[in-house]
Amino acid sequence: MKANEVPQDITYYEGKKRACYALNDEGKYVIVPSSGWDVEAVVNGLAVDEMAASLEVTRQAVLAGSKSPLCYHMELRQMTPEILAKTAGITKFRLKRHLRPEVFAKLETSVLDRYARAMAVTREELKTVPT
Amino acid sequence: MSVEITAGGKPFIHKHSAHCESGVTSALLRDKGVEISEPMIFGIGSGIFFGHLPFVKMAGVTISTFRSQPGAVFRKSAKRLGCKFITARFRNPQKGMDALRRVLQTGQIVGLTTNIYWLSYFPNRFRFQFNGHNVVVLHEIENGFRLSDPMLESPVDCPAEDLERARFAHGPLESHGFMYYPQSVVLAPDLRRACIEGMKDTCNMMLRIPLPIFGIRGMRFLAKKVIKSPDKLGFQGACRELSSIVRMQEEVGTGGAGFRYMYAAFLQEAAELFGSDDLALLSAKMTAIGDIWREFAIVSARIIKQRGQSEVTFDKAGGLMMICAGREEELFRSLRSVVGKLKA
Repeated sequence: MKANEVPQDITYYEGKKRACYALNDEGKYVIVPSSGWDVEAVVNGLAVDEMAASLEVTRQAVLAGSKSPLCYHMELRQMTPEILAKTAGITKFRLKRHLRPEVFAKLETSVLDRYARAMAVTREELKTVPT
Repeated sequence: MSVEITAGGKPFIHKHSAHCESGVTSALLRDKGVEISEPMIFGIGSGIFFGHLPFVKMAGVTISTFRSQPGAVFRKSAKRLGCKFITARFRNPQKGMDALRRVLQTGQIVGLTTNIYWLSYFPNRFRFQFNGHNVVVLHEIENGFRLSDPMLESPVDCPAEDLERARFAHGPLESHGFMYYPQSVVLAPDLRRACIEGMKDTCNMMLRIPLPIFGIRGMRFLAKKVIKSPDKLGFQGACRELSSIVRMQEEVGTGGAGFRYMYAAFLQEAAELFGSDDLALLSAKMTAIGDIWREFAIVSARIIKQRGQSEVTFDKAGGLMMICAGREEELFRSLRSVVGKLKA
């Protein structure tokens, strides 16, 4: 790749630039900052859209009362039950029960606080999902 | 490039780098007065690799990697350059943060391994749960730390709470607050010997691992899998797998074409160091291979974007990867014989 071929397609990195290695006119490798490449936007977009879509499904499920809000916040933070269980210091078995709304509704505040701290949200936020 | 003052009152030059780990190692050594470029560290630490892990899934897709495992570049390059590093891991986050503050107060800059999701200065779409991002901490500021993230153009501020979360995040490849800084360095390291060691190791990793998922064989394995994927996983599933390969190749700070351009830069620098025309030729070949990887990315993006309506197919993408495998096998075989003739 030559220095003038380094993609500057879109300001896709939200104003930040990324270093690319490219050949300058004398055939030497130099670092050229790139503002973004269409190709990356496509592949990243696929992943981001998919994540957003599945988050929306979960949100609807929470509003419909078939999943607990914990499920939504866990997905929002891109966590799996394994990661969240370890971070909050609660066994995976217990955590999976807490994904059921009727179990979640009866949780003590001390348990809720542990989840809230693990995911950097407040206790009130944890109990609800954005409508 | 920008200059910062560390807690020790020394100027620190922030250099924009393509890859976090080699960038951080290079920055830590530069701070001690050893000027080694990022591609050089990458080559000496045998950073280039290929692997496809069909049994490890992250967010529902299998993982392919274009680099050696996180931490290896730092470990190997430090060893080969004769530098001693102090490293520490912690069970208790509070102790980990205290230890960091203590070291910073002595004026030493510190390398940290962090989780990229909790580093809030990154654009949102690049924040995902990955526990292998490296940064340099320069000094403490009010309610936080001044960080030099080699992937960004200039140093940034990071709140202490975010940094603590990032250092002690759980999940695969947990870092346990891993921190490292040089204890002693060799001011004029034997670069020639280190380069030879690095290149030999790379050739072995690419050519001689007797498993079908690593090195050149891994590339062929994945290429065949890509060709078959629409039949096996359906169009959507195949797209998802393909996009994860391209993301690993381009998005995660590789300097373009899955580290192939950076390795070409290393070979170019090594060619000057040894005065070897063979290495210069190999560098040019590596650049050409990188161009094919870029084409693979373009073809993949076209497949994903046009949802099967276009003439480009998964066969084409897999075929391009197969070509890369063949060309890289040839390259690493000739690199192996060229390295054998070099004198340290």
